[in-house]
Amino acid sequence: MRICSRCVLPASFPGIRFDDNGVCNFCRTSATFQTRESRRAELQAKFARVVESARTASSYHCLVAWSGGKDSTYTLAVLKEEFELRVLAYTFDNGFVSPAAWRNMQAVSSNLNVDQVVVRPRFDFLRQVFRDSVSSVQYARKALSRTSAICNSCMGLAKFAGLRIAIEQDIPMVAFGWSPGQLPLSASIYRPRPAMAKAMMGATVGPLQRAGIGDASTYFLQDRHFAAAQHFPWEVSPLAFLDYHQDEIFRRIERLGWSKPSDTGPNSTNCLLNSLGILVHQTQTGFHPYASELATLVREGKISRDEALRRMETPENPDTVRLAMERLGLASLDFSSAQLGSPGQKGSRGL
Amino acid sequence: MTTVEKQIRRFLVENFLYDGQEDDLAADASFLEGGIIDSTGVLELELFLEETFGIEVADEDVLPENFDSIRRLVEYTTRKLQLAAENGGSWKADSMSQASELLKEVVVWEPTGQ
Repeated sequence: MRICSRCVLPASFPGIRFDDNGVCNFCRTSATFQTRESRRAELQAKFARVVESARTASSYHCLVAWSGGKDSTYTLAVLKEEFELRVLAYTFDNGFVSPAAWRNMQAVSSNLNVDQVVVRPRFDFLRQVFRDSVSSVQYARKALSRTSAICNSCMGLAKFAGLRIAIEQDIPMVAFGWSPGQLPLSASIYRPRPAMAKAMMGATVGPLQRAGIGDASTYFLQDRHFAAAQHFPWEVSPLAFLDYHQDEIFRRIERLGWSKPSDTGPNSTNCLLNSLGILVHQTQTGFHPYASELATLVREGKISRDEALRRMETPENPDTVRLAMERLGLASLDFSSAQLGSPGQKGSRGL
Repeated sequence: MTTVEKQIRRFLVENFLYDGQEDDLAADASFLEGGIIDSTGVLELELFLEETFGIEVADEDVLPENFDSIRRLVEYTTRKLQLAAENGGSWKADSMSQASELLKEVVVWEPTGQ
């Protein structure tokens, strides 16, 4: 399959077009380096102001969504050590957090001296959400261009469960460890008004409810949360506008006791469900759910094109996929056997 | 159809729907309820309005009544353009001439002091 000669987006990516040089329209219309740097500088200044206002909170300054993965661990470290914020680390246990990730969180929370709270919905609910995300939950096409349906469901639940904690405990800021490629700069610092937050939440909970997951609303914000407008926190994704260098990230978090898990797939450092989500997405859409993120990282010079292609081509660990399928009660799925490779097997460039 | 509406429709098709014609979108269809955009897309819309029309979108303006359908977006953008024309402010310098042209489609407006 044809792939952009500059980034890694394939011909199957929604809305893509190639010019005579094989460069895709997303590359051609992306912001220039100067524009990006100018925006990043503005956001850094805005973040500094948000941080100063957050310091007036009497309890925690910031709730940090912490999956135990590389980027959220780095985010936690930066906010605690460089910005010297009083942080509450919040982990959403989706039932598939890898044992290695739990060990990492234990080591890092101890070495960083941070409080941690874990939200663990009951697994029968999570199983229904993830099973239905494979088959019947319908997200917007744009949402599926950013990540898989399974990840959309999980992230939606995790985000709003975190916002509940922040609103109920008057924590003025919620930080996420999204990489620079996972969300646009325009979404990296904002504080929604309750009415818009409710509408945004509807874009996540609506698909779950329409798929028949009746308990879904229990895990999201309720009317009483929206009524307290003054308690709505800032939502920030610092890695979108702070320096992002993979070597520095690993160096810093390894110093805190973090080590790269060997029990997850090639595209996750914390989640045992991720591989199944990737394979389902590839089968249903024809492109890798990380394509958009990786393409952005390539355009911004954060990783090489070769590295991005390697991440997309490395086959998912079949044991991780089978584990997830068993736990979700998925007896069989319509997967091509060629997509379940053995470790070290080089996958095809096409999908 | 005004240029403002045409540009908004084109942006939606190219960045969120990926196929279909710009005219296919119903003017009053809710973006979020209809699965046309996702929640992050609201913030991309905000940036699009600022960069395309040179208006400043205040945080308190990002509400469903301003952002959650084509009609509402067009009306909001037009109001902002008109306000800027009346007050002579909040325009990025390089978009003033474009904004002037856009407003001529909506109201009879005579620029002053330029």
